[in-house]
Amino acid sequence: MAALLIGLSLVVVTSRSVFRSAIALTAALGVVAGLFALLGADFVAAGQLLIYVGGIMIIMLFAIMFSHRPAVGLDRQTNDQWLWGALFALAVACGLIVQFRAVYRGVFSTTVSMPTTISIGRLLLGDMVVPFEAISLVLLAALVGAVYFGMDYEERL
Amino acid sequence: MTLSLHHFLMLSAILFGIGIYGVLSRRNILGILMSIELMFNAANINLIAFNHFLYPNQVWGQGFVIFVMTLAAAEAVVGLSLVLAIYRNIKSVYTEKLNILHG
Amino acid sequence: MFELGPILSHVFQVLQTWVIGHGVPPLGAWILAKAIQVGVIVLLVSLIPMVLVYAERKVSAFMQARLGPMNVGPYGILQTLADGIKLIFKEDIIPIGSDRIVHILAPMVVVAPVFICFAPLPFGKGLVPIDLDIGVLFIFAVSGVSTIGVLMAGWGSGNKFSMLGGVRGAAQLVSYEVPRVLSVVPVLMFYGTQSLHGIAMAQQGRWFGVIPKWFIFYPVIGQIAFLIFLIASVAETNRTPFDIPEAESELVAGFHTEFSGLKFALFFLAEYAYVFVSSAMAVALFLGGDDGFSAGGIIPSWLWFIGKTFAIVFLFLWFRWTFPRLRVDRLMQFCWQFLLPWSIVNIGLAGLAVLLLK
Repeated sequence: MAALLIGLSLVVVTSRSVFRSAIALTAALGVVAGLFALLGADFVAAGQLLIYVGGIMIIMLFAIMFSHRPAVGLDRQTNDQWLWGALFALAVACGLIVQFRAVYRGVFSTTVSMPTTISIGRLLLGDMVVPFEAISLVLLAALVGAVYFGMDYEERL
Repeated sequence: MTLSLHHFLMLSAILFGIGIYGVLSRRNILGILMSIELMFNAANINLIAFNHFLYPNQVWGQGFVIFVMTLAAAEAVVGLSLVLAIYRNIKSVYTEKLNILHG
Repeated sequence: MFELGPILSHVFQVLQTWVIGHGVPPLGAWILAKAIQVGVIVLLVSLIPMVLVYAERKVSAFMQARLGPMNVGPYGILQTLADGIKLIFKEDIIPIGSDRIVHILAPMVVVAPVFICFAPLPFGKGLVPIDLDIGVLFIFAVSGVSTIGVLMAGWGSGNKFSMLGGVRGAAQLVSYEVPRVLSVVPVLMFYGTQSLHGIAMAQQGRWFGVIPKWFIFYPVIGQIAFLIFLIASVAETNRTPFDIPEAESELVAGFHTEFSGLKFALFFLAEYAYVFVSSAMAVALFLGGDDGFSAGGIIPSWLWFIGKTFAIVFLFLWFRWTFPRLRVDRLMQFCWQFLLPWSIVNIGLAGLAVLLLK
């Protein structure tokens, strides 16, 4: 599963057709949902499918479809600083890996998975209620912003 | 072999690195947005792994992941509407064409 | 007497002990039992749409004062089988201007989630394939994946009209997901569990000895929720009056114009299987699942479930020839300006009711 995920994400960042990257990202998000389920987070896995795959990827595919110019399609997808980008990414990844191995080596899990929906509900409305309300405001702002940017230029003013 | 915590953390570190490479080196704005989503997911895997291995009786990690997912959704929506507004103006989604504020 | 649940689990027990007795490790026996169950579900998912297609043609025909398929087999029963065989042998055309991989993958992405959706449905007492604790959310999440398949189909056809059809179809599917999910929230509020089997179980029993304790009979909340769920499900499965994406007179066949042969058969199968899944969910959530007087054990619970599901499927088929097609902008208007506010009001009312009653 991990190898599949890494392969898919490599397709996402290197594919020449942006539509293919989007499909690869959708598949990668599905695999991540499977990983969540494996780690005992069933509600979050279903939420990942619903929100990411069923929502975000669909609007991204919409945006790709609406902004596609067939003539310009298949030239290179990487800009002039790709080598520095690759080196930086490699540095960050290696740094993180070394740190993680040093600190968290050998931690195993011994618990059985339980359904988490009730606990998450209690948490969201109990200890985490302030972020809950804040995020509803954030979503409202995002909605208004998206509608505003979608209007015609004359309508906006 | 049994999966331990650091395996998941290595996976998310590699994903994060791939996402950074994508953000820094793609020409298409939508490609950059997709790499940002990859990085969000790497962070989410980290959070869920920590929750599962280190604090098995609590669900704070999963609650936080729900917030991260919602924020990623909001950010993707606004980002994409910006991209479409840009496309309407300059008819292109490639980053080198976005140089109106240039020197 | 005809209750399948206990019989099936007994059969699987016997099978497992027999296999273990022949030297297979217990894990292997468990995998074998699960594999057989999966095979049964796959068979069901393939057969039920065939029955539904035949039912649709017959019902539509009778409503239009004609007879429908009568040639193939007695009363035309084998018509769907013949259609399926014909579609499998048709030539598989892939348009030149399209993306090959996307074109080939699209029908699979639309069909694959349906097979998984059949898992949490409570077919009867002890007949739930997998009793998921997040059954309702799971079915909604997996239905969302099919929408990506619709977009892929529209794009992969290399045809501007198909792409438009795909985009419109995906917009409609995504919009109607919202009232659909929100209309189920009152049910979850009252029963406190997302497991379809649990919800169906909680609706057993009678009020005043006569009225069944189904959710649809709750004073106002039940009816509004059921109606919104039904209408949103009709829209989600792209059936008239919401079938702009595949209307024959509007966009040829919309996003599946360029698909021939087996791929078209897969789209068809997905649509009718989704009709069945939506009806089964409506039955499990609102109509009590497998509740019903059992007449001393003669009418088993799965017969009630199948009967009620086919009654709702009949409603779906009935809508098709009763209502005119909605224009696309009025379709969106209907969703966001009518169904969504009412589903939110419904949640508010249900919250009040839960507070007052508990």
